[in-house]
Amino acid sequence: MTAPAKVWNYRTLITNLALRDLRSRYKKSLLGWLWSLINPATTLAIYTVVFGVIMGAVATPMGNGHEGVFALYLFTGLVAWNTFSGGITSAMGSFLAAGGLLTRTYFPPECPVIAGSLTVLTQTAVESVILLAFMAALGNIGWSTLLIVPILLLLSLAAFGIGLVVSLLNVRYRDVAYLTTLILQVLFYATPIVYREDIAAEHPGLNWILKLNPLTHFVGAMRRSIYELRTPTLVNWLVMVLFASFTTAVGWWFFAKKAPRFIEEI
Amino acid sequence: MTHPILVEGVSKQFRLQSDRPHSVKEFFTRRDRDRGEDNFWALKDVSIEIPAGSMYALVGHNGSGKSTLLRCIAGIYQPDEGRVSVDGRISTLLELGAGFHPDLSGRENVYLNATILGMSRKEIDKAFDEIVSFAGVEQFIDSPVKVYSSGMYVRLGFSVAVHVRPEILIIDEVIAVGDAEFQRRCFDHLYGLRKAGVTIVVVTHGLETVKTMCDGAAWLDHGVLQCTGTGPEVAAAYMDRVNAAERLERDEIEQAALEAEELEAQSDDEGGGAAVRASKRVEDIRIAKVEFLDAELTPTAFAVHHEPFTIRIHYDAVRPVTSPVFGIALHSTSNVHITGTNTKIDGIDTGTLDGTGYIDFAVGAMPLTASDYELTVAISDQFVQHNFDRREREWRLAVRHGSHLEPEGLMNLRGAWAINSPT
Repeated sequence: MTAPAKVWNYRTLITNLALRDLRSRYKKSLLGWLWSLINPATTLAIYTVVFGVIMGAVATPMGNGHEGVFALYLFTGLVAWNTFSGGITSAMGSFLAAGGLLTRTYFPPECPVIAGSLTVLTQTAVESVILLAFMAALGNIGWSTLLIVPILLLLSLAAFGIGLVVSLLNVRYRDVAYLTTLILQVLFYATPIVYREDIAAEHPGLNWILKLNPLTHFVGAMRRSIYELRTPTLVNWLVMVLFASFTTAVGWWFFAKKAPRFIEEI
Repeated sequence: MTHPILVEGVSKQFRLQSDRPHSVKEFFTRRDRDRGEDNFWALKDVSIEIPAGSMYALVGHNGSGKSTLLRCIAGIYQPDEGRVSVDGRISTLLELGAGFHPDLSGRENVYLNATILGMSRKEIDKAFDEIVSFAGVEQFIDSPVKVYSSGMYVRLGFSVAVHVRPEILIIDEVIAVGDAEFQRRCFDHLYGLRKAGVTIVVVTHGLETVKTMCDGAAWLDHGVLQCTGTGPEVAAAYMDRVNAAERLERDEIEQAALEAEELEAQSDDEGGGAAVRASKRVEDIRIAKVEFLDAELTPTAFAVHHEPFTIRIHYDAVRPVTSPVFGIALHSTSNVHITGTNTKIDGIDTGTLDGTGYIDFAVGAMPLTASDYELTVAISDQFVQHNFDRREREWRLAVRHGSHLEPEGLMNLRGAWAINSPT
């Protein structure tokens, strides 16, 4: 049986693992689920103050002609970024957490990683709803808004593929977790999230980095469809689809091949 | 399910983890040296066939590869060589409550654990009440499992594993943790599953289980298959080896004790020891040593069921004692006074004893069944009024399985059956 077919048989387990993760996450905390809003809100506030107010960054005008709102311009990019970085870190976390289980019962080892991706998708959904609510309040909404769904799904697929590889390697080399945090931090600033792509692209060296960074296309596509109410460019779509399918295919292939051996070392 | 579980020439190698690289740097620098010597074989060319619907035991010392083999059968480990073919839904019970999350309620954990074992939501809904009542945790089912007692935790784990309606159930010596009553219920339940056609593979140290409950068994030692056969056959073969090893060990301990005694004697000569001895109240006669002897009257560490056995009581009389009474008593570890007798009850006059010597109590064929017992030995005066020396349950008498099939309970009455057929 192929790996995806096997995993499909265990879909109940995947949902239960994801539910366990979600249920236990805010147990014993007073604010509970509010934390999942407080965290991104704080990040958004900090970046808005630092880059928008202090540094005086100006956002492009919105699709409906409304003058640019830097906080929303930023938020659009952040939702995409959180999906990506959250997907990778939670894949690592849930694989490690399920490690003990994997040496005691048989189930496809992909299950906890998929469950981790699903928990991040719920967080993404919450953030997206808030983002779209703000956009709707400003009347900045159109058909292209619907594209948020395929864009974020492709992005979390990409994160899943990378997550499969790093979560597995992390079992043997704990350096991987630290390294991943570091790379994600670099990548965050190498992606036009807190700054405008068109301004950074004027610098030849930076332009080169932005072009090679696939995340630029995800964030760019998000901005175009949600903020500017235009459809993403063909290049955006090509990069997104190719990147997501490449990471998923390679990640899964590597995982299926190496997981049985690595699990013995958990 | 009609196909047997086939294990064909399975070998499994592990890397010794102590020496594996932990960081990326080591990964690059140690790569070439990381092969070969750091590996060991947990299983070496093991082939067994477990018939469908049977209860099969794996026996062997700790570290013999039993659990590794279980994990290979369960699909958790992939063998390096050979193959395992299994057909049917497997439920594993390698560690009770392994998938429990401490912060989640018993109810949530039952659902989670049962899905891990491959059950669908509907099936769990149906079995839920039964799972909870079998575990006896109805009252606490909505409390987080971290407040459960360890017994409740274990019971709930077992209950989930046996109620997922497996076709193959794989159990790793986990049942031993519950209390006696729960253990009995577990075995009853396992017996029921087996009757319903479930193939059960267990790792156990309870040879009694192997003999009475298992259709087949395999004995592993250091990853190598020693023998396979019916439950009683394998249990007997395994026991023979253990007995031989224990005998050897006992000889070694005695040798060491002898040397220690000599050392002590030397230090006594240098003074000190004598004074300590004088301060003790001196009785006329005391028990110097108690020995267990086997059929050949050679010292042994344990008795074997249905084989000759002798208790030899060495005495040391500081002055002549007239007709002292020697007595023995046996208790089970669960405090049952099984038997007790003395030379007066048995009508033996020991005469006048002086100096050192010994008296034997010979049992023609040990009637007690395999278990541990506690032996009390006493020497009293001829009227059994004064105890010169009484050692309350001081010796542990282990009775082991022999080749003779054992009856149930504590002892063999050794009665004779007679069949009177109507003519």
